[in-house]
Amino acid sequence: MEFSFDWICQYVDPEEEASAVAERLTAAGLAVEGQEVRQGDVIFDVDVTTNRPDCMNHLGLAREVSALTGKTLTSPDTDILEVEQRTADVAEVELQDATGCPRYVARVIRGVEVGPSPEWLVKRLASIGQRSINNIVDISNFVLWELGQPIHAFDLQKLSRAKILVRRAREGERLVTLDGEDRELDPEILVIADAEKAVALAGIMGGLDSEVTESSADILIESAHFDPTRIRLGAGLLGIHTDANHRFERGADPEVCRLAADRVTSLVAEIAGGQVLAGAVDVRNSSLDWQLAGQLDLRRASTFGGVELDGEQAVGWLEGIGFEMEAESAGVWQVGVPSWRYYDMRPDPTRPAGEPQPAVFEADLFEEVLRLHGFDSISSTLPDVGGPDAGSSAGHWRREGVRRHLAICGYTEAVTFSFYDAEAESRFPGIGRQGTPLLLANPISELYTVMQRSLLPGLLEAAEFNLRRGAGSVRLFEIGHLFPGQDCEELEAVALVAGGGMGTAWDRHRDYDLFDLKGAVESLAARFGLELRFRPADLAGFVAGTGAEILAGDSDSAVGYLGQLAHEDAAVPLFAAELRTDLCQPGAVQAVELPSRFPAVEVDLTLTHAESTAWADLADEIEAAAVQDLVEFGLEVRYVGEGVPAGAVNTTLYFLYNAADRSLTQEEVNERHEAVRHRLADRFGWKGST
Amino acid sequence: MSADELTRHQEAFAAEAAEVRDRADWEALRVRWIGRKQGIVRSLLAQLKDVPKEEKRDFGQGVNRLKGTVEARLAELDEELSRTERSLAQEAAAVDVTLPGRHPHLGTLHPVNLVTQHIVDIFIGLGYSVAEGPEVEDDFHNFEALNFPQDHPARDTQDTLFLEDGRLLRTHTSPVQIRTMLKRQPPIRVICPGRVYRHDNDLRHSPMFHQVEGLAVGEGISLGDLKGTLEAFIHRLFSPDTGVRLRPSYFPFTEPSAEVDITCPFCRGDGCQTCSGTGWMEILGAGMVDPRVLENCNIDPSIYSGFAFGLGIDRVAMIRYGIPNIRMLFDNDERLLHQVRI
Ligand SMILES: [Zn+2]
Repeated sequence: MEFSFDWICQYVDPEEEASAVAERLTAAGLAVEGQEVRQGDVIFDVDVTTNRPDCMNHLGLAREVSALTGKTLTSPDTDILEVEQRTADVAEVELQDATGCPRYVARVIRGVEVGPSPEWLVKRLASIGQRSINNIVDISNFVLWELGQPIHAFDLQKLSRAKILVRRAREGERLVTLDGEDRELDPEILVIADAEKAVALAGIMGGLDSEVTESSADILIESAHFDPTRIRLGAGLLGIHTDANHRFERGADPEVCRLAADRVTSLVAEIAGGQVLAGAVDVRNSSLDWQLAGQLDLRRASTFGGVELDGEQAVGWLEGIGFEMEAESAGVWQVGVPSWRYYDMRPDPTRPAGEPQPAVFEADLFEEVLRLHGFDSISSTLPDVGGPDAGSSAGHWRREGVRRHLAICGYTEAVTFSFYDAEAESRFPGIGRQGTPLLLANPISELYTVMQRSLLPGLLEAAEFNLRRGAGSVRLFEIGHLFPGQDCEELEAVALVAGGGMGTAWDRHRDYDLFDLKGAVESLAARFGLELRFRPADLAGFVAGTGAEILAGDSDSAVGYLGQLAHEDAAVPLFAAELRTDLCQPGAVQAVELPSRFPAVEVDLTLTHAESTAWADLADEIEAAAVQDLVEFGLEVRYVGEGVPAGAVNTTLYFLYNAADRSLTQEEVNERHEAVRHRLADRFGWKGST
Repeated sequence: MSADELTRHQEAFAAEAAEVRDRADWEALRVRWIGRKQGIVRSLLAQLKDVPKEEKRDFGQGVNRLKGTVEARLAELDEELSRTERSLAQEAAAVDVTLPGRHPHLGTLHPVNLVTQHIVDIFIGLGYSVAEGPEVEDDFHNFEALNFPQDHPARDTQDTLFLEDGRLLRTHTSPVQIRTMLKRQPPIRVICPGRVYRHDNDLRHSPMFHQVEGLAVGEGISLGDLKGTLEAFIHRLFSPDTGVRLRPSYFPFTEPSAEVDITCPFCRGDGCQTCSGTGWMEILGAGMVDPRVLENCNIDPSIYSGFAFGLGIDRVAMIRYGIPNIRMLFDNDERLLHQVRI
């Protein structure tokens, strides 16, 4: 928001350069983000935060400057010479919605001469980028930027029966606004009406018909207060943003209405002539009030701020920005809050504006003192709350464990968006899907409309991105939340997408396959003491015959899946897995099994069996045999070819025998091993094709 | 032994020694001259008993000199042969040790998560615990409890992504603070990292990004504690000589609120393009927890106070690794990610 330094100096002489004032304002929370010299003036670009509508005008900023520099603030002049006729004799105001409009001040000036503005006024407005229209409109605009109060001027002759009625719009009512738009209104919208029809959008924009023009002679000045929520609702429905509704939405000063009306009136009389009718029609909702009070305890403020505050200084600052200070006891004051800080300081913003409020929070008063004091000289300490908090959480511990394990296994961590398009939604099985997915109501693009129920679409896209850029292989993983359905809790999962060969012949190049992927998943599970089982399954998005569901523990419901992606365009075969991570719990600490001090004996075994026999069945059979002193067994070679009957496969396994307390003799090993050999041969040995 | 005889033997030995080519020659020479059984030296010594008494002394000394000469020369030859043998063996096994080593294929962690973990580690060191929560939130936890009243302009700054069921994607990780305070009474010190979402998509904004927020609530927690905590944090995250500056600002959930600047990590405060010549870089938002927020979480603001802060992790990752565009973080280009080491 732009402000003229020269204009600010109209109300306070800081006896300082503009840049010094800018620095003070920034240090007090009114960040001057730019300073530009324009025609002998310095224009400040100030970031006025939404809680400070009182500083969205020059007097408001001048008030801050006055408090910060200790120089006197001079309020603008409102001297008016009135005629005998009273405003109340010619105009009537009625508040039908006295919640939406708790206060309305109207003044009337007759016989004005609408025309160009004097040079000083044109210049003032131009300095902050405002265009001159005519003297009446310019004066209204000037007062908005001077006092922060939006003003509207009506052509009194165009108001049916000179009546102002503040009410809600009727169903289907229409109004052509100042910008020429013919708008259909809604009963949620507050309007200013005359005896017959809506003539303006209250607090937002005037109507075209009742506008002040060159031919207007008698004008009615509106200076009213509108409820922020009501204005925001209306402006939102209509999609209008004006300087007026910007201020009303943030909360204008409820008590400035009369002052602003008088200020406009005095300027009109001075610039456009005419006769000012006596007094104003000032209607208010008497059940509402805008007073707030609280208590400031300087000792508590010092503790809160971590700084030693000076009582006299604090009182000076607060009085400087309009607070009323009444000493109660040593270092304690009763504090009255100025009306222009009402919306910022009310303790309970959920109560309708103007309804009784409890005492203001002392932190609100501390904030004022501390920001005017500045944050620079506050000392640096650490909280003294006795002992540490709980440290890492189980979820965080788990995730970091999964993450580090997969990185060690050679996978690169990716981060992709948590939403995808409707097409991606049904591409892969996902985990825990229930009912319909969560859909975004205002997606950023058609590509991001559905909350993910699988990490694979995003991760596959990342894999394709790398392959398109010439990578011969990818090894990617991601950990993220899945959103399984309407009434489901979010689920954390990990996904892997990998494929292609790493390195050159020198590097012993080897193409990635399904069992590399499976090994990564198994090793991850093993790290958390989790045993997985794999059940063949026909999975959406996977090459038929390569897919498997992943089962954990004794449960029969899948916790994940893996397989080779059905992905014809890819430069290399891609393999993918997805697995929920919540199973990866930190298990109970287990004592290690001490390895035997005696040498182990390794024996191989080759079994010819039907191709259809699953490795898992062989392994189960060996486990079931519970062979004494067998500490480990595994797959060595699978062979199909010369010497192996069609339909059969040669599987060579290794067996490692080791006793804890002695060296096993060859006879003992042979005896144990023969038993396994027979057991396997009996059950699985090749008996010719059937 | 006469001097002539001695010279003759020595000349003969020298001539034979000059002919030694390999270990077998050497061994033959050794046996011929100083072999225990038939070595020339031994047989000369055996002759000693037949030498006339007056010549015995000279003869003995002569033989000993000859023996000394032979042994010394044999040792020399032995050393020469060993050297040759070693170099031959080396030649046979020689490799080019400058050939490239075979690297295990290393994975990497995403820069955003590396930075997250660094931040979490710093705060665990300061006595905090990690708290997490859902990414789909309701209005209460994301806005209402944080003192964003319904229909308040402060909500405009949040650019929220809404779900069709009326819920929303959290716009910050502050709802986790609310959930923590609703579950526990003070003292509380938590750090909340996670994904957050905004309706924003351009070169500088991504609809999904990462935030970490911290919260400390207890008796007598002050603005000074916030300042000291942020300094300790920033000095560990960047460097101990990083300057930290707090400027009053506004957030609905804190008061007073502050924007926190650090001395620009690129120019160290001298002013450069990245910091628009100011020497400072805005990196954090912070403040004392608004009493309305404490009340919304059933914590009595007349007894307890607290501070909260939040920062964008992606931004820190971009600064740290020199990544110019936030969208590049989510391209997941392995050529880029592989340069980031754990
Ligand atoms: Zn810089």
